[in-house]
Amino acid sequence: MERKERKPYWRSTKWQLLASLIPFLAVMVVLPLYAEQLNANRFLGFPLGYFLSAHGFFLIAVVTVASYVNRQNAIDHWHGAHEDT
Amino acid sequence: MSFSTHARLVNPRLGTYFSIFAALFSAIFLLALISEALSIEDRWLRIALFAGPLLLYATIGISVTTSDPLEFFAAGRRVPAGYTGLLLAITASGATFLVCGTGAFFVSGFDALVLMIGGLTGFVVMASTLAPFYRKFGAYTVPSYLGRRFDSKALRIVAAMVVAVPMLLVLAAELRLGAASASRLTGMDRDIATLVLVVVLAVILVPGGKRSFTWAGVAQAVAALLALAVCVATVSTIVTSLPVPQLTHGPLVRGLVWHEANNGLQTVSTWPLAFGLPGEGLHRLTKPYTAPFGAVGPIAFALGSIMIAAGIASAPWLLPRAAATPGVYEARKSLGWATVLFGITMLTVSSAAVFMRDYVLDLVMNQRTEELPQWIASIVSFGFATVDKSVGEFGYQSLSFDRDAVLFALPLAAGLPKAYVYLAMTGAIAAALLAAGATTVSLAAVLSEDVVQGLTWDPATPQSRIWIVRGFIVAAALAGSFLVSLAPTDPLQLVLWALGLTGASLFPVLALSIWWKRLTRGGAMFGIISGFAIASLAIFAGEAGAISLPSALAGILGLPVSTAVAMIVSSFFPETSRHDLEVVRDIRVPGGEIIYDREMRRLQIKKQTRS
Repeated sequence: MERKERKPYWRSTKWQLLASLIPFLAVMVVLPLYAEQLNANRFLGFPLGYFLSAHGFFLIAVVTVASYVNRQNAIDHWHGAHEDT
Repeated sequence: MSFSTHARLVNPRLGTYFSIFAALFSAIFLLALISEALSIEDRWLRIALFAGPLLLYATIGISVTTSDPLEFFAAGRRVPAGYTGLLLAITASGATFLVCGTGAFFVSGFDALVLMIGGLTGFVVMASTLAPFYRKFGAYTVPSYLGRRFDSKALRIVAAMVVAVPMLLVLAAELRLGAASASRLTGMDRDIATLVLVVVLAVILVPGGKRSFTWAGVAQAVAALLALAVCVATVSTIVTSLPVPQLTHGPLVRGLVWHEANNGLQTVSTWPLAFGLPGEGLHRLTKPYTAPFGAVGPIAFALGSIMIAAGIASAPWLLPRAAATPGVYEARKSLGWATVLFGITMLTVSSAAVFMRDYVLDLVMNQRTEELPQWIASIVSFGFATVDKSVGEFGYQSLSFDRDAVLFALPLAAGLPKAYVYLAMTGAIAAALLAAGATTVSLAAVLSEDVVQGLTWDPATPQSRIWIVRGFIVAAALAGSFLVSLAPTDPLQLVLWALGLTGASLFPVLALSIWWKRLTRGGAMFGIISGFAIASLAIFAGEAGAISLPSALAGILGLPVSTAVAMIVSSFFPETSRHDLEVVRDIRVPGGEIIYDREMRRLQIKKQTRS
């Protein structure tokens, strides 16, 4: 990769990290705290709070990783930082 | 220069090989089922399901013998993303989260989700902050990474001492749980079972180190997943007529919410910092399944998730897995697979707990007379639970369940043949062997590379280098078994302590070493030491009752301390080293040569020009 690309590349990478992690970590801390209130509702037979903390959180984690991998690979290619193939 | 030839490196027949393994494993189970129906003696069934899979793992381990350092320490850097993810997921859960986790879900319900949420977060954090960069660096062990990154032998040795402690704890936990399952399965003494497992570990790991561990480990992970899936999916088909336990247990959960409260389980609330996941031994059911924060307080739940996440993200027995992938992109992808598989495993575990709860609820609702159904009698005869008839009217208070046997009790409760129980135990042994193997092989690499040869960057000849590690593999496995017999402790507790220690000492320094250019070697050194010291002091204090934080959670105190110390020391005593800057710039870019290999080659050239 070219020398002058380094700074913009790392800036995009940093923003991508923050964009992936901050919402995810916020959900991780906050979601279980509201589980009790949400449990009054139902989804697929599950109490909603339990469902969101187990299945919902799992889905959020998978989507976060998948989108991170996808976006970060795109950033690498954009700045020419990708692996040689 | 182009060094990425990963497309050609990956063995195209891996899928075939592991399909054959899965077929053989299923065949052993089906034969056991048939022989049980033919009323062949129970003892032979147990021996077949214990020894058969062990023979298969050992065969795989021995068949990939190697004496090339790259193969021995990093499995040749050609383990595809899917297999790496499988290994990461089942190593992180191990037998602890599978067996103790089922018990924890069964007893504490919602509160055991802290294990799942923590683990998933750990993988997400690892994927985005550490794993791809660690792969780019390509070091064989975490202390070698730190030592090369900051060009400091002292840091390398200190880090090696620090990472050895949590690895030994996890090894002891997994060996203890594996031995407990093995002695349940075969009826042999626990100490003998531990020794048998140590011998099996040595036979698998000594011939090919990480390479043997990788391929035997994939087989073990497949076995553990198959065993879990077959048991729980069969029960799910019986109860809900669909073999997807993760999604079908909803109506059962609703039934639990409805009826448990009417049968004497009242919502309890606890102190916000309590961390009361059930310990080893027998437990009564006291709280409804879905009501949150009856055993783990809300603040402790958040802190516990963060602690487990930091521990798993920087675990020195998981992170080097990422270095065995064929490339940086594959390393990222492997963490995606790890997230998916870990999540599915934990959802299966929680659904197993719900099915078991449902059977117990049925029992409590319909059985207020003297006659208990057949299945509870067989569970009691296996020693998985006790029924106390002296406490007046029959109800939840008269039943206690062994936390580490809930998973094994489920097939009996569903009225399935005994072969299912033995299959679940085989799966537990496989998961225990996998996690124990991961810690043994990483611990041996750390001890031989970073402690014994830690004073030099110039490793011995490949031959002697590998024989030293082989010696340490045996030594590490034996040390683990001594720890099991000398200080028997609850495996779940041990794993939580280990994750607390790693998260506190390693996570901040590892993350800063990539994301903060100005971290100096002094900052890294004092960060690791202070994090480890505070975390271990807090754990001892929590265990002794000197602080009001439970010891399982106390490790979290080290995390902010080590972050602060690392940043303050680096800011007050800045160093500018051209080497460090060059490495940190290079580590951030996925393309280009593997840094560890380049550094090693440079050292060789330097040595040659000097002589």
